[in-house]
Amino acid sequence: MSRIRPRLTRRQLVRRAALGAGALAVGTLRLPRAAQAANEVNFWASGTLDIGDDGWKIFANDSEVKVNFTDNGNDPGPVVAKLAAGNANDIYDVGGLQGGSEKELAKRGLIAPWDLAQIPNYSSVWEWAKNIPYLTFEGKVYGIPTVVNADSMIALRNRVGNVDSYGVIFDRKLRGKTAMEDAWINSVIFAAIYLKNSENAKISEPGDLAADELGLVMEFLIKHKKDRQFRTFWNGWEQALQLVANQEVWVMTGWEPIVYAARRRGLDCYYAVPKEGYEAWSNNTILLKGAVDRGLSKTAHQLANAFLSGFYGCKLGTLRGYVVPTDNNVAYAAAHASAFDPAAVKQLSEHVKAKLTGKVYWQNTRPANFQLYEEWWQRLRNA
Amino acid sequence: MTLNPIVGDRTSGGRPLFAIITALCLMIMYAPTLYLLLASLNPDEQLGLVAPTRYSLTWYVALLDDHRMFRALEESAVVALATAALATPIGLAAALAYRAMTRMRSIFLLVTLSTVLVPGTIEGLGLSAVLRLVRVSPSWVTVTLGHLLWTLPFATMVSLIGLLAVRPSTIAAARDLGAGPMRAFVDVTLPLIRGSLVSSFVFAFLLSLNEYARAYYLVGRQNTLPLYMFGAMNSGASPTIYAFSGTVLVASFAAVTLIFFRAARRQSGPPGVSVAISKRTEKSN
Amino acid sequence: MPEALADRRRRAAFFLALPSLVVFIGIGFVPLALVAIWSLWSFDPDTYWIKSVWSLASYAALLKSGRADVLLQTAGLAALTATASTLLAVPAATVIGLLSGRRRATLLLALFTIPFFTSGLVRAFAWRLVLGREGIINNVLMSLGVVDTPVEWLLFSDFAVVLGMVAAHLPLAIIPIVLAFARIDSSVIRASQDLGAGFWTMFSSIVLPLIMPGVLAGFLFVFVVAIGTSMEIQLLGGAGASSIAIMINDVMRVVNFPLAFAIATVVTILLLVVIIVADRALELSRLFEDRGA
Repeated sequence: MSRIRPRLTRRQLVRRAALGAGALAVGTLRLPRAAQAANEVNFWASGTLDIGDDGWKIFANDSEVKVNFTDNGNDPGPVVAKLAAGNANDIYDVGGLQGGSEKELAKRGLIAPWDLAQIPNYSSVWEWAKNIPYLTFEGKVYGIPTVVNADSMIALRNRVGNVDSYGVIFDRKLRGKTAMEDAWINSVIFAAIYLKNSENAKISEPGDLAADELGLVMEFLIKHKKDRQFRTFWNGWEQALQLVANQEVWVMTGWEPIVYAARRRGLDCYYAVPKEGYEAWSNNTILLKGAVDRGLSKTAHQLANAFLSGFYGCKLGTLRGYVVPTDNNVAYAAAHASAFDPAAVKQLSEHVKAKLTGKVYWQNTRPANFQLYEEWWQRLRNA
Repeated sequence: MTLNPIVGDRTSGGRPLFAIITALCLMIMYAPTLYLLLASLNPDEQLGLVAPTRYSLTWYVALLDDHRMFRALEESAVVALATAALATPIGLAAALAYRAMTRMRSIFLLVTLSTVLVPGTIEGLGLSAVLRLVRVSPSWVTVTLGHLLWTLPFATMVSLIGLLAVRPSTIAAARDLGAGPMRAFVDVTLPLIRGSLVSSFVFAFLLSLNEYARAYYLVGRQNTLPLYMFGAMNSGASPTIYAFSGTVLVASFAAVTLIFFRAARRQSGPPGVSVAISKRTEKSN
Repeated sequence: MPEALADRRRRAAFFLALPSLVVFIGIGFVPLALVAIWSLWSFDPDTYWIKSVWSLASYAALLKSGRADVLLQTAGLAALTATASTLLAVPAATVIGLLSGRRRATLLLALFTIPFFTSGLVRAFAWRLVLGREGIINNVLMSLGVVDTPVEWLLFSDFAVVLGMVAAHLPLAIIPIVLAFARIDSSVIRASQDLGAGFWTMFSSIVLPLIMPGVLAGFLFVFVVAIGTSMEIQLLGGAGASSIAIMINDVMRVVNFPLAFAIATVVTILLLVVIIVADRALELSRLFEDRGA
């Protein structure tokens, strides 16, 4: 009878015993959960809204709100599912995600409206940010715009020169050298913007396509996919950055901070200024009903207020190049010139403002035909 | 005692052929793994290889400060250990039950296997909805429950394979010699299936450690390691996650080498009649 | 006497089966039932949730937009991965279980297990850097002069996906086969040698049949894990490649939960059917039965 594993038994036994003892100790230490402090908030948001442990520490000192940040994976699907059917309302207090789902979450009573009287800094928010349609429902504000930006394309200058139109993504000469994001939320808008403005397609609202308009745009994308125009579609930051940094792709639609990160690694990379316009988006802070039930409403409002008070915006700008839509950032940097470069903060702020007051089309996770969008995207996947 | 000395050299080219395929398997598995190890020594922020002169432990040092990753690792370790500790005995019991059953065994096996066929996201969502209804608050316990559903079928099948090495004649012999059923189990069956029990534990541990979809819906406030990794890759990871993989690799290799050298000195013969045979063949090993 | 023995056996079987049945009924079955029920209800456009109106609309939607194709393609990919993994695993497991002393066997097993301790996501991501245009393989090929321009199909292709999936799941196939070697008795090998059988005859007529349960289990493990995964497909596949898990996620993004649940229910039932059919056709469960005393 062969006995192959006795040696492994001893090794595993030793390892198992050590780990087991350690884990049991740790596990029992963590079982009785301390009651949540009155000024502690569990913030469940996209990683784009994170300022790191040291950032949150300073934030807590300034605002007297201690934030426990948990990454929600950035995909609105599982986030909404966890809110709708799962336990997100039991364990988190404030959420942060892409805009568009506020209406349905409000309708189902999963989020609570913000009381603007408790958020004095709200008045400093840029007007057009306040007016983003999906933030309000039945006259009440459910989403506080926390990060706004306008997206276009990332391009490698030494490969494609200076581009100013989304047409390059679909250019046959660049076959196999372009990419788009694997999400209809962004990619359909980009294609629609291009078709509307450069190929005079009959499209009225690129962010909210009618059924036939959607068919037009999707057939366009499907044709190019079948022609092997795209090297790939990307999901998430690290994938996108890797495509550019390794020159796997020469031009692609994507997020602006990728350009900053690529430049830091020595690439001659720039963010295109397309003549067809930008795609605007916002990540917003929402108040979960569970927090209100647990009596944390006041602290949550303090948190929202603190997001807009300046430090958070400066820190986020430095870390990622994202902008909180308020002028308080510039004021804060001016007052704390040792921590943040006031000129840089101002420049970033003006840059984003300029983009967003120019030609932009707003992203929306819930266009009128949103389920049709997904059906078409599925067909694109199968193509 | 292994079969190797009996097979000896008479393999008509089987040994070299199989060795080449095994080497190919190892190459395939280690290509990304070793790349990660080397790339983690790159002090730049971007993942990639650099010349050995530039190797640096920057990210390993930074790893020490990455408290969020450690908390996630701790959570994952607890869940994985609990899952493996539960799945192994329950899987063994299920395997024993299967062998003792007659007519019901197919249905029983299908029932135990069914939970692994459900897509993870949906199983996690469904279970979290049910747990919410019965007011169980999410924590590492709920994640363990979800992972138990995922790993139990694997543990059961591994135990089934292990039990194949236990012949009814051996058990019958032990019973004839006066051993009761428990005695026969502990003294005869258990030693024979030790390998599969360990494998069952390690399987369940590793499957749980890497599981993402179910955990997403079942976690409490503390993310598990795969959730942390996923979030980091989506929103801007610092290369510490690659240093982490490198650490795991180096630590595992070190552990294996250590135990290997200690075990190499030990001699342990299998129980029963084959001791004499093993001693004889050990000399020729 | 025989009846008492059979009774004792049945009672023992019942108690032994109890823990796993408790697990299944307690936490396995209820969520499945809930999911199945929800899949038969309808999407409510007012609340973007589910309303308790019975309807087969979700199942009908499964037959549109190429969703059924995704099920078949993912199953095909999983089967291909499982086959490739098993074909590679049998020789590797034979080296470990038949052609190695204890030391080497332990070492090899450890080597095959260790990468699993690192994150699968990070490993799959690393393949992009190995197979990419500026990746290791292309660099080597170009510096050796084998190709002039980087090989494009190494990455973002079916090749990359299968390679990544096999690399990720190989240990799942190897370990069950290695365990199955424990049932091979040295006397059987010796007997075949005494009868003059060569290695290959012995391997095909003695070793392979005896390790078949392990081979089968390995195939099943890889298949089951591969059919539910999305990492390698997303990271290494072509533009917008799909899988069952990706499709479910897409559908959940548009809060069409009944459809997501319908997909899951259909997948579960189909896989059960496949297992039942395979069991009957190939008499698979006999592989795990007691050998005659």
